[in-house]
Amino acid sequence: MTTDDTGYFEELASALRAAQVPEEQTAATVADLTAYLAETGTAPEEEFGPAAAFAAQLGAAAPAVTGPPGEAETWTWTADIYNDRRLLAVHGDHGWEVERLDALGRFVCRRTPRTALRWEYRREIVGGRREEVLGRLVPEGWEPCGEWFFYAYFKRPKAASAGPAALDTLPARPVRSWYIGVKGWTVSAGWLVAVVLILVAYYSRHVDFAIAFPVLLAGTFGMTYWVRRTVARSSDPAT
Amino acid sequence: MAADRRSSWLKGVLDLLVLSCLTAGESYGYEISRALAEAGLGQIKGGTLYPVLNRLEQAGLVVGEFRAAERGPGRRYYRLTDKGREHLGAESGAWLDFHTAVRNKLSAGGTP
Repeated sequence: MTTDDTGYFEELASALRAAQVPEEQTAATVADLTAYLAETGTAPEEEFGPAAAFAAQLGAAAPAVTGPPGEAETWTWTADIYNDRRLLAVHGDHGWEVERLDALGRFVCRRTPRTALRWEYRREIVGGRREEVLGRLVPEGWEPCGEWFFYAYFKRPKAASAGPAALDTLPARPVRSWYIGVKGWTVSAGWLVAVVLILVAYYSRHVDFAIAFPVLLAGTFGMTYWVRRTVARSSDPAT
Repeated sequence: MAADRRSSWLKGVLDLLVLSCLTAGESYGYEISRALAEAGLGQIKGGTLYPVLNRLEQAGLVVGEFRAAERGPGRRYYRLTDKGREHLGAESGAWLDFHTAVRNKLSAGGTP
């Protein structure tokens, strides 16, 4: 083993320890990877990619294993269902990892310089078939990162499919945090206007409660069904 | 371009290919990588292979066991679990159906 190899594995072991990987497992991993390199004859960086990023892959995908915690950037943004997957792909390529969806359905993201990875995302409908979806996606490395009503978002480092892909330079955090398109605004505004009209008609005694309430209820179910159908139609099973 | 396309194809099936390398018995990282290369799937880097093995182990589809060697560093040997064998059978069928659909479509499009 060369000096370069030793330095690489020292950095890898240090990063695995920082990610709470048990000492015995860390030692076994380093030994196994050393044996692997002895057979391939390649350099560790060439074979496994940057040590910190590779450690994040092996240590439960925790990219923020090195560097002071204060360096991590956070960013919260939102998009409608017509734009979310496209924007997740764009921002995932810029190193933004979705940690969760907040109560408003916004994507809460984190990115750590030097250890940031490229991320890929997918959206699935989970209502009533969560176990089936998880059983299908988890073995492929997809990790749930948030749910909003009946659909769920999953993340996976791109290195899982395309090899090591740490980001050396990070684009600046986007200034914009709202990505609601014309369609999204139209649907939301249309629904709001309909609710207001029904409520005004009810309070001005033009419409009975017996009519206003069922109409509101039916409208809510209809809206939910329509959004669900739109999501289902726009889901691409190949992604 | 060609490498990008192969990488994209592998994306959907690499976990199954790794599992298939273990059907005849246990194996280790380099041997799995070599078996995939010999099967014509190209050189899979350790940086891609080991995270896949890690995930398969976390999902309970394979079990890894580190064994020290008399000379040189030890190795981690992986073997298929019953759940892994079952998963491989079911998902291989789905992949082969997909492969058949692609082949039929490309053949219909004039590709020999």
